[in-house]
Formats: sequence, structure tokens, C-alpha cells
Amino acid sequence: MMKEKGIALIKIARLLVGIVFVAGLISIALFPFDKRNLSLQFMTKEGKYEVIVNNDEIAQGKWQYIDFADGIKIEELRIYGKIKSMFLEKIKYDQFAGYIAGIENGEIRWEEDGLVLDGTDAIRLEMNEAFGTLLKEHSSTLLLERLIMAELYAVMMAFILLALKIAEEKIAVDNRDNHSPLYEMKKFFGDVRKYWQYTVYAAKTDLKAEVANSYLNRLWWLLEPFFNMLVYVIVFGQVMGNSIRNYATFVFSALLMWNFFNKTINYSVKLIRSNKDIVTKVYIPKFILLISDMILNMFKLLFSLIVLAVMLLIFKVQIGIQILWVLPAYAIMILFAFGIGMIFLHFGVYVDDLSYAVGILLNMLMFLSGIFYEVMTTLPSPFNTVMMCLNPVALFIDTMRNALLYNQLCNLPLIGIWLLISIILCCVGVHIVYKNENSYVKVV
Amino acid sequence: MGDIALEVSHVSIDYKNLMHMSLHQSLLKKEVKRAESIRAVNDVSFKVEKGKILGIIGRNGSGKTTLLRSIAGIFRPDEGYIDTKGNRVSLMAIGIGFNGNNTGRENILKSGMLLGCKLDYVKEHMEEIIEFSELGDFIDRPVRTYSSGMYSKLSFSVTAILDTDIMLVDEVLSVGDEHFRKKSYKKMEDLMHSNRTVLIVSHATDTLKKFCDKVLWINDGNFVQLGDTDKVLAEYDKFMQL
Repeated sequence: MMKEKGIALIKIARLLVGIVFVAGLISIALFPFDKRNLSLQFMTKEGKYEVIVNNDEIAQGKWQYIDFADGIKIEELRIYGKIKSMFLEKIKYDQFAGYIAGIENGEIRWEEDGLVLDGTDAIRLEMNEAFGTLLKEHSSTLLLERLIMAELYAVMMAFILLALKIAEEKIAVDNRDNHSPLYEMKKFFGDVRKYWQYTVYAAKTDLKAEVANSYLNRLWWLLEPFFNMLVYVIVFGQVMGNSIRNYATFVFSALLMWNFFNKTINYSVKLIRSNKDIVTKVYIPKFILLISDMILNMFKLLFSLIVLAVMLLIFKVQIGIQILWVLPAYAIMILFAFGIGMIFLHFGVYVDDLSYAVGILLNMLMFLSGIFYEVMTTLPSPFNTVMMCLNPVALFIDTMRNALLYNQLCNLPLIGIWLLISIILCCVGVHIVYKNENSYVKVV
Repeated sequence: MGDIALEVSHVSIDYKNLMHMSLHQSLLKKEVKRAESIRAVNDVSFKVEKGKILGIIGRNGSGKTTLLRSIAGIFRPDEGYIDTKGNRVSLMAIGIGFNGNNTGRENILKSGMLLGCKLDYVKEHMEEIIEFSELGDFIDRPVRTYSSGMYSKLSFSVTAILDTDIMLVDEVLSVGDEHFRKKSYKKMEDLMHSNRTVLIVSHATDTLKKFCDKVLWINDGNFVQLGDTDKVLAEYDKFMQL
């Protein structure tokens, strides 16, 4: 009796969660939040110089004067909203000239890499009308904050659903054919431990097999990324010429991350078919094969990273403590790739031409993810924020690159959210594969 | 009566008509005939005692291999259950996870671990496997350079030497040349006297006659008979004469 009651309660709770979710989403989208304060950060060689303008001041036109304490060299201006790790707009010093109406107690001098304000103690920049509209625009749209809230909200709901599933598992225990979250998680980690030796060894031998016949053998692991890099340096550094500093490094570092993601997803779609030999002859948890391939790719990535490090040295990119944020960016990307890969693995078994479709989608995603450009500054205004919030690959690449090349931590709330989403995706992926892996053999 | 090593209870296995679909079909839900299923094994039950050898006989397509595969855990039965009592099961098959570009040695390690053995354990038995496989110097060359006979000899050796509690053999005894065949027969005889439980699937009645303690006969997925080797095989022969 208790059991049935419990299950009925959970059903009701699930329905409630659904209703609350929709209602919450609507209210997040429509709720009239206060207009936000803006933080203007002038980036200089010595550090950042921050001016906070609150929304009343913007409405009253107090933005007109900006005071500087001493003569400084401005490299760029970044405008931030409520979230301090995601900028809304970046204005380079040369574009910045268009917003200046005049200067008091000093003079403006242009240099090759910045805008120098010379003068006595209290320099005051007078800004023009265009600057006012820019600030007003940024102050009134709350798209970024709303998107982040909506995502966070969706993640919370997903976790509540997961918790409900676990509660259901506790109430209605059935050991045979158990596909509830707790049981599956335990099984997953058990399987990973059990097959770990195989996973690593298979990755090692596959890696060896790839280069076994080639003339230069293991040197290829280094040569391939090296020549890739050379192409980017020549094409993007010399031929095309671009406004972004160190464009070759900029592209190369992003491509390394993208290649890992791309390879993992492409492989996972065809995984069961290309491992027919194993799958039809012995029982092995299917994700072991995916993990093994990911380890192989990680190993190759390491060699590419060596080349990247050399590149950083050659181009004299300044590295700071924030570079450590590269690691979580990669870690979450790997987790995300694994979750998505598991889901594609399942559908790839049944749908023949999924690999073509996925190939095309990945190609599109590649150009949407800001490998060759910076998402926030290149895309037009509402799209850049939307892309950043909804396209995790763009987010991972941007975070990794900012940490690596500019010594900057960015997109912190989004990174957190996508970590949670990746965890949920992994749970879902593992669940789907555990539930269906028995019938894969019957299809291939 | 010894302990029961393997219990198969009312097992039925369906091959659902889950054919490959194109994206187009799956999106439009066109011609998705999921309901249509073929019953490959229908309500088969038997028990095998520890250390005994059971032969499974039947015509082509009668579900022998399907049954064996589900005992090996490759897929789960749709109805009924299979209890291996915690024993490790290995299906003796040709070339589990062999990669042509790797050497024989590497492939031995890989397929050994796929069978659920620990790395050290496989390494310990490496020499024994190589010796049994009669490959000599070829063991350090890539597997793609092997002849088909060498290939099957190697994969047979891996499963024959590495100890699993229950061994499932699917018509692989006819591997290699005359000499190697004799050797494998001898190995099977050794297994008979050891404590391993073996299930052999074959059409060849004389093979089964030689090894098996008992024989299970299935026809079109249905259980026909389970009994002493001579008795069942005699009736099977009679059945096949028709």
C-alpha cells in the first residue's frame, strides 16, 4: 500500500515540476527587472580602471564625464553588466575615439597600441551622445541575465526530476532490470573500474596501430599538429592579416579543442558498427569503447599542446595565473562530449545515415562556435549573447582562449551551468545506453 | 550430483525487426515495423552441473548461437533468466577485438582483457598461449600478415588457455591444420577432466559424441530433448534422415 501511495505521490510531484517549470520560464522571460548598472572597465597596461555607472545616472545623462586620476594609456574599454565575468561589449581604443567629445585638463595622444591621456591630476573625458545611447541600450536589455537565469532554472528542475527518480527507486526496488539513477551510477563506476586496464591498453594499442606502417612512425603525433600550426600561422598571420592580436595562436588553440570534440562525436555515432568484432562476440559496456577512444584523442591532444606551448613562447604571449582556467574548460568540454557522445552512440546504431547528418551539423557548429573569430565582439548584438549562452562549444572555446591568451577568467556562471548540464547529459546517456545495449547486437 | 554452474530458465529471445533506418524514415515514422518480431529461442530451460560438458545440437538457424550469446551476456533474454552463479563466462569466438595493425602479442593482451582477465594474469599466460598457437616468430608481427589459419589458431589459443569458469564453444574446433586440430581436441579432453564447465555447439555428431556428458537438442528455437549423449544423438540422426 505504502509503495503505491509513494509512486502516485511521485507522479504528482513530477507533474507539478512540469507546471512550475513552464510558469517559471515565462516569469523569467517577462518579469520587469530593474535596469542594470554598468561597469566600465578601461584596460590599461598596469591593470584595469573601473568606473561604475548606475542606471539612474545613465538616465540622467551623468555618463557624460569620466574622470581619470592620472595620465594612463587605454587599450580597450569593456562594458560589463551584473555578471562580472561576461562582458557585453568590447571597444578597442581606435573605435573608442568615436565616442569622445573632448577633454579637460589634459590632452589625448594616439599611440600604436593605445590611447594615452596626458595631463595633470584630474583629467576629465567628455563623452558624446553616441556613447550615451550605447550605455542606455546596454542598461535596458537584460537578455544575458535572463538567459542565464533560465538555464540555471532548467538545470535545477532537471536535478529535481533526477531526485524524484531516485526517490522512486528507493520506494520501488526491483533488482532485476533496474534502470534507476543510483543503481546505474554505481554500475557505471564499477564497470569503469573493472574495465580500466582494458580501456587504457586498447587506447595504447590503437594509437600504435595508427602509425605502425608509416615511415615516420611516432613522429607523426608531433608533425601533424606542427604542420597544421604552420598553415594557420602562414594563412592567418601573413596572408589574411587580422585585427586580432596573435591570430594564429588564437585560431590554433581553439581548433585543438574543437578537433577533440569533433572527433569524439563523429566516432561515437559509428562506434557500435566499427567495433562490430568486439560487440558481437563478448559483453562489454559500450561506453568503455568510447572512453578508450577519448583517451586516445587526449593523448594526441597532449602532443598538440606541446606545439601550442612552443607557439606561445615564439609569439611571446604573456601567461598569468588565470591560465589554470584552461583545465576546467577542457574538463567540462570532455564531460559534455562524453554525454552527447553517449546519446549519439545510441541513435547511431538504429539510424543509418545519422553519421552524415551529424557530420554536417558539426560542420555548421564549427563556424558558429567562434573558432576563427571572437563570438562576443564579432557577432551582432543579441546573437552574440544567445550564442554564448546556448552553444556550449563556443563557451568552452571562449573561456579556454581568454584564460590562455589574455590571462582572463570569463563566463564563470555559464561554465558552472554547463558543468551541471553535462553531468545530467552523462546520466541520461549512460541510462539510455545501459537500457538498450542488449539490443544493439541484434541490429548490427 | 555436483553444484549447478549454469541455470537457464524459461529463456525466450526475440529478434525484433529493428532494422536499420534511414534518417528520412525515422523522422517520418514510415514503415517502422517494431511490433514484428521473430522468436529465435522459445522457452528453453536447462541446468548444467559444474565440470560437465554439454553439447547443443540443432539445425542451422535453430537458435543455438543466439542461446550461446545470451549465456555469454552479449544480450539479455526477453523472457526468463540465465543464472551463471557468479561464474565467469567466455564465448570462444574467432578474433575478439583483433586489430590487424597490432602484433599478435598485443592482440592476445587485448582480447584476454576483453574476456575479463586481469592484465597481469594474461601476461603470465602469454608464453603458454604463444606456444599453444604454434605461431613462433610471427607473434611479434602485425596480425594482418597472418594467414587465416594462423589467425584462427591464435584466437582459439587465447580462449583455450585463459581460464574462465564456463566456456562456450561455437563450432571453432575445426580450426587450423590437422596437427593443430588434434591438439585442440586434446585440449578439449583435458578440459573434460578439469573443473571447467563447457558448452559446445556443433552440427558434427561425432565431435559431440567424443566430448559431451549430455546433449541438448533444440529445433527452431524450441526445446526438443535433453539427455544422455548417445540417446539424443541417435534420435537426432534419425530426425535428420527424414
